[in-house]
Parts: sequence; C-alpha cells; structure tokens
Amino acid sequence: MTAEIEYAAYELMVAAGARELKDGEIVAVGLGLPVIATFLAQRTHAPHITILLELGVVDPEPLEVGVDGLSDPRIWYRAKAHTGFADMLGSVLHRGIVDVGFLGGLEIDAYGNLNTTLLGDPKGKFRRFTGSGGGNDVASNANRTVITIRHEARKLNEAVSFITSPGYLGGNDERQRAGLRGGPSRVITDKAVFGFDPVSKRMKLESIHPNTTLDEVLSNMSFRPIVPDQVPFTEPPTAEQIRLIREEIDPGRAYEGS
Amino acid sequence: MTKVTTLADAVASIPSGSHVALSGFATARCTMAFAHEVIRQKITKLTVSQCVGAMDADILVGAGAVERIIYGGGSRGRSGPHSCLNRGIEQGTLKTEEFSSLSLTFRYLAGSLGLPFIPIRSLNGSDILKQLQQVTPPVVSTLKDPFTGDEWLVLKALVPDVSVVQVQVADEDGNAWILGPRWDNEEQAKASQRAIVITERLVSTETIRQYPERTVIPGFRVSHVVHLPFSAHPSSVYGVYDFDKAHIKKYAEASKTPQGLQQYLDQYVYGVKDHWGYLEAVGGMKHLDSLVADPILGY
Repeated sequence: MTAEIEYAAYELMVAAGARELKDGEIVAVGLGLPVIATFLAQRTHAPHITILLELGVVDPEPLEVGVDGLSDPRIWYRAKAHTGFADMLGSVLHRGIVDVGFLGGLEIDAYGNLNTTLLGDPKGKFRRFTGSGGGNDVASNANRTVITIRHEARKLNEAVSFITSPGYLGGNDERQRAGLRGGPSRVITDKAVFGFDPVSKRMKLESIHPNTTLDEVLSNMSFRPIVPDQVPFTEPPTAEQIRLIREEIDPGRAYEGS
Repeated sequence: MTKVTTLADAVASIPSGSHVALSGFATARCTMAFAHEVIRQKITKLTVSQCVGAMDADILVGAGAVERIIYGGGSRGRSGPHSCLNRGIEQGTLKTEEFSSLSLTFRYLAGSLGLPFIPIRSLNGSDILKQLQQVTPPVVSTLKDPFTGDEWLVLKALVPDVSVVQVQVADEDGNAWILGPRWDNEEQAKASQRAIVITERLVSTETIRQYPERTVIPGFRVSHVVHLPFSAHPSSVYGVYDFDKAHIKKYAEASKTPQGLQQYLDQYVYGVKDHWGYLEAVGGMKHLDSLVADPILGY
C-alpha cells in the first residue's frame, strides 16, 4: 500500500466525510457530496447507520445518485419507510435523536453559520438563493453537524450576510443560549478539514489535504481560522474507498465537480 | 354523493384573495393543471403556502396570481432556481413569509390539531427568525414553559382556506391515497378548511376499502375531486409517471425573464382550452407514454 494512489479532490472529501460517521448513528443527509460520503461509510465501517432524507425517506438504496434533487424519485428507491416532514424532521430530528446532520453549504463563516438564502444586502439589493428547506432544522436540532463546501474566498467569510442555518452564532456559548442543540463539528472543503475551538467556537484548521499548502488554504479564505503550530495532512482515501466510489456508489461521477 | 367535478368548477370555488396550500415539492406532485386553470380564470391576490417551493407556486407567481407566499425556501435542484419566485422576492413585488420545512410543517400541524400555536426549537438565532419578527400581524412569539420555566419560540397555527393536493388514487368521495414520501401534505390538507383532491386515477370506494391504510386524506375533509391524468406534468407523480426533464428545461429557460414566461403562458396556458389541450401541446399520448413509471422503480 505504499504506491501513490491517484484520486480527485472530491473523492478525498467524500472519504473525509465518511470518516465523520460512526456505525449505528442516525444521519440526516443533504443531497450531493454528503449522500456519496454517507453511502461510502455504510459500505465500509458503518454498515448500521440509518439514513434519513428530510422529505420522508428512510434508508434508500438508489440505483443512481446523480439525481436532480430530493424530489427526484430515483433517490427514494428501495427505502424502508416513506413518511413526511412531521416524522423525519419532527419526531426524529426535533425529538433529538439525529446524531449527525450532514449538509452541503453555499457560504459559511468563522463560527460555522450557513447562508443559503441570499447574496448581498438583505435590506437592499440582493440575489436570492434557495433559502432553508430543512437546512435550518437540521442545523438547529442535530446533535452535531458536518458541512461540506468548496474552498473559495467568497464562500468562506468572517460573517455571512444572512444566517439561514445557525452554527455557533457569535461564538462562545451563544448557540447554547439561543436554545439550540449540538453545532457544527467539521467543515470539509476541497483543500482542508476544519473543526471548532471548544471555547471560542471559532473555526480551527485540523488538517490540510495532500498536494496543498498552508498558504494556499489560508489565501483562499476571507477570514483567518485558528491555526495550530502543527497541522497534519488529511488522510487520503484508500484504494478500496476509491473503488467503491467509482464502481458502486457514483459510477456516473455525478458529483465530480462538487 | 359524488364530489367529482371538472377542474374548472373546482377552481371556480376559490375566490380571489384566498389562502391556497399546494402539495408540490420542487418537481414532485406539483398541482400544475390546477395552477394553469387558476391563471386562465384570472384568479388573483392569492396567498400560497407550501413547505418547499415548487413549480406550481412558481408559475402562479409568474402569472401574477399571488400576492403573498408562505414557504420554507426551495429550488428545482439541478434544474435551477424558481426564477419567478426569486424575482418576486428580489424585486419586493411578492410579499414573503419565509420559514424552514419543519417550522411551516409545525404551523400546519398546529392548525390540523385545532391548537392556536406550537413551540419549536428551529429558527432560533437565525436571520429567518429576525425577518419573521417583522411580519404583521405577528406569526412568531415566545412563551415560558409552565413546567420548567424554559423560554420557547412559538409559531402561530396556519389554517389555509383550501389545500389542493395532487394524489395518485382517490374515489368519488375524495378518499385519497398518497404513495411515496408525502412531505407536508397530510398536515397541510388537515390544517385547511377543506381540500380539493386532484387524482391521476379515480377508483371505486370498494377499492379504497380493500386497502384503507393507504388513505392519507379521508373523504370527509374533501370538497371537490378532480380526475385528470398527467395533471402534475411536467413534475412527477411517484409510481405513475416520471418528471419530464426536457419540458422542465424549457420552463426553466422561459421563466428566466418575464417576457419568456409570458411566451410560455401564451403557448401552454392561454393558448390551450383546457388540460387536454395542454397535454396535446406538450407532445400528446406518444410523448406522455414515455414518462410512464416502472411499477417497481416508481419512476
């Protein structure tokens, strides 16, 4: 296993995302990269996880993952249960038994707050995105949240222009005081993996991906995260993980550009 | 007594200014034939609610039928944003009460139970909540838990005038089956004063009685039953037909500008007499047959 393995950045993100899930956990999954990562975890170290799609789908086994969205029936295939929001987001998520909310982000800030609502000035001129859907509910109620996002300066800001889905709000105990559970535990980009400082709740660099440099990571962010003295490289995907992604989970390579 | 009516009669029962809850989710079970008929009958000033923005709400907004939208955000996923909804929000021409999927479901749930309000953990700390605190008359407030003393965010119950639900199967009394995931539809239909059921298949009550566990909306909540095949086209109906990717792309392109949307409406809504004319205009039986779902896959 000493030979160099070729892999795409998104395959490393998928493997890093899968690593965040423990066997037996209940995971509320957003579409895109989180779905691939969750299926990878299920096929490797976490065969007993439960996968929830917010609109009312439990443990689907889709034949293809390159779907148009949550409303595409391809992603509902071979589920164990078809229910609805009041069940998935209510009596599971709001009830407090979702271990991990796994979300893709459009814009995130230094305290893990997510914006999927708008770009610009909410009171003035802005461009509208999609809004919350179940994103706010997952971020507010899951016992922890894992977020994947592209590593671009315009997506990684000191403060977001609109908090759609709360992270640690202004930091310290602000999230707890707002009555929210959990909070973001990991942010996975195509250049690095971040955690959060246990006290200040500011984003903290955990590892940088092989083939990147600390300078490249930091210069493509619009805020400075906490940077420890020693920053390891992110563990690359194994040959078996790459095989599963390419041959079984996403043979159409639907999320290569994600 | 049969509640089966024409689509035109069911739509005519809704006065301008009503609050209409719609069953669509992005590109699934959207009330498209209904929306087209609302536009043809020139019904306006509607309040539309649904947990996740869908193609039915988007075309109604684009055609100028909607004054206020109450929703939890949403897009068509990979086939792009709801351009008419987004344009209305960006330009401030559409009054908007924006929630999340669960918070709006909770408002329907409270409505369905006859409760005046419901506590929730979601929305706290977010800018969604800050925007909702500006809405008049108020839709959010706080309340102390009388048992623990904890402070809770509470949402006002939502009771639409009518819920319009696109279903796979119903009988003439309106006993309706929803197959596949049903997002907010059960709470939405039961919160509303009444429901209009639009069904792909009209079956005997004897068939309903064979599988009563499938009935999500019981007939006694239903005022009108409309039987129209492919009435959610170009969105999908699980187990009946797939979404029409090519036509959705056509709509996506057209709806990028008000002029483009007007041309789409001229061709597919105003330019046809009724739903049957629409089905011919989008390609007729030959095309529609290509969308029919596989019985195991459901799409």
